[in-house]
Amino acid sequence: MNNADGTNCRRNFLKTMAGSAVALAGLGAPLPQARAAAYSQNLLQVWSCGGLAEAMNPANELFESRTGVRVSYTGAFAAALGKSLLGSSTTEVFAGRVLDLAKKLRQSGKMTSFKPLCFTSYVMVTPKGNPARIEKIEDMARPGVKVVLAPEASPPGGAAAINVLKKAGIHDAVMKNCVTLGSCVQRTMDDVISGKGDVSIVELRVTRIPQFSGRVDVVEFPEALFPPPPLTFTVGVMKHAKDPKLAGDYAEFLTSPEGQAFFERAGFIPAISDKGMALVEKLGVKDA
Amino acid sequence: MPENTLAAAAPSSALAKIRLSVWRRLTQLGMLAVLGQWSFYGVFRCPFIVPYVSCQNCPVITCHGRLLTMFWGFWLLLPLSALLVGRAFCGWACPGGLANQMLGKLAPLKLRTRNLFTRVAPWGALLAAAGCLYVWLAMGQPRTNIPIRVGEFFGAVRLTFEHADLFWLVRTFTVLGLVALGLVVANFWCRFACPTGGALEMLKRFSLFGFFMTSACNGCDKCLRVCEMGTRPAEKNCTNCGDCAGSCPQDAIRFGRKPS
Repeated sequence: MNNADGTNCRRNFLKTMAGSAVALAGLGAPLPQARAAAYSQNLLQVWSCGGLAEAMNPANELFESRTGVRVSYTGAFAAALGKSLLGSSTTEVFAGRVLDLAKKLRQSGKMTSFKPLCFTSYVMVTPKGNPARIEKIEDMARPGVKVVLAPEASPPGGAAAINVLKKAGIHDAVMKNCVTLGSCVQRTMDDVISGKGDVSIVELRVTRIPQFSGRVDVVEFPEALFPPPPLTFTVGVMKHAKDPKLAGDYAEFLTSPEGQAFFERAGFIPAISDKGMALVEKLGVKDA
Repeated sequence: MPENTLAAAAPSSALAKIRLSVWRRLTQLGMLAVLGQWSFYGVFRCPFIVPYVSCQNCPVITCHGRLLTMFWGFWLLLPLSALLVGRAFCGWACPGGLANQMLGKLAPLKLRTRNLFTRVAPWGALLAAAGCLYVWLAMGQPRTNIPIRVGEFFGAVRLTFEHADLFWLVRTFTVLGLVALGLVVANFWCRFACPTGGALEMLKRFSLFGFFMTSACNGCDKCLRVCEMGTRPAEKNCTNCGDCAGSCPQDAIRFGRKPS
C-alpha cells in the first residue's frame, strides 16, 4: 500500500474490478431464472470465518441476484466452525481462516477442493490525529505511550498482536506501556477511538467495519512481522454439496474479480491481486 | 391527597374490559415485532452471560441490538416507563412476558392465592437482578460463547449451544428451565425469576400512575383470581395490565395517580 489507508492500492484494484465488471456486463449478464435452471438446487449453504462477514454479505447478495439461488450463510469463529465440520456438522461451501484447517478438512475427506480467497494484514491504529505521533512499530515501546491490547481476545485477535510484538523484539517494553489488557478487539477499538489508549494492533479489516470506519488513523508496519498462520483465508467446496457445480461456481464467483472486490473493500488482500498472488506463493496456499 | 383525585374509574363494563385486553394483546404483538428478535437472540444467541447490555461490543451483526442501535434508547426508556407506569413494560410490551402468559394459559397451577410462598418467592427476581448486576459490572461481563456473527435461524442456535462454555450453558438452561416451569405454575418466570422484572419492581414504588385499590376494597380477592401475575392492584408483581379492571364487585379498582 502506498499510504496509511491504502487508498492508492485500493483505487487501482477497484479500477481493475470496475473494468472487469464493465467487460462482463458487455457480454450480457444471464437472467437469474436462466442461471438457476442450470442447477439442481436453488439453495446453497455457506459457512465462513466470521471476520469475512462484511465482505460475504454483499457478495452473497450479488450472487443471489445473478443466479436466483438463495445463499444460506453462517459466519462465525472459523476454528469453531471447523471443529463442527470435522465432527458431524455439514455445509456445502466453507471459507475458513488458517491454511491448516483447509488442509485438515481436505485430508479428512470433508472438503473436496479449496482455493485461496484472500489474506488479512495487521496495522497499528491510533486516535484521529495520532496524538502520540506513532510512526513505526518501535514507537509502541516508547516510554509514556499508552498501549491498548486484547491478549485474551478470541484467536487470532489477541495472540496475533502479541506475536507481532515478539517478532519485533519489543514485547516486554510494550507490555509495560499497556493501559488495557482486554478480552475483546472491539472494546480495544473503543479505547483507541476515545483516546484512552494511544495505539493498538488490529487487523486492517477491523478499521473498515462501519462502526469504526474513519474513526481511527491507520499506521502500517512491515509485513515481515505478521504472524503467518492467521493470514490466509481459503474457500472450499465440501463433500456434502448437493450440487457440486453450484458450489464450485459460487467459489469461482468469490475468487473472480467481481467477488474479490468485496474482500478488498472490507480490508482484505484479494488472492488474485499481485500482492495476494505473491502471498499464495510465499505461504504455499495450494490444494495439493 | 384525596383518594379519587387524578384517578379514573377502571373500566367496569364487560365490553370496556374486553376492549382493554384486546389493546393489550395488540400492543404486545406490536412490541413482539420490534423487540422479539432481540429477545430471542438474548436467550439463544447472545455470547455474553447477561444479554441486552453489551450490544455495543457484540460481534453478532444480525441481532437487532446492533442493527437498530436500540441499546441505549431502550435502557433509558425502560426505567423512565417504570417511573411513569410501574411494571407496565412487563404486562404490555415484553415479548418474554407475552410468551410466559401464553404458557401460563396451559399451566394447571395458577397460584392465584396469598400464602407464604407467593409472598416470599417474588424476591427471587430481585436476587436475579442483583446476580446479573454482579456478573455484568463486577465480573466484567464475560463472553463465554462463540458469537455466530451471521447465521441460519436454527443452525445458528444449534452452533451456539454446541460451542458454549459451561457458564453460558448453566445460565441458559437455568433460564429455559424456569420458563418451562411456567407450564406448571403460571407465569413462574415473570413472577419469581425475571431480573428485569425485579429491577422494575424496585422502581415501581416511585411510579406516578397505575392501578390501585381504594378503601372500598373488602379483600374479596376477585381481582387476584383474574390476574395472570397472581397479585392485586399496586401490590408486588402488579404490571398494570388491567386484567383486574371490572372484576371488583365493590368498584374499588382505579387507575391514575395513586393516593399517597
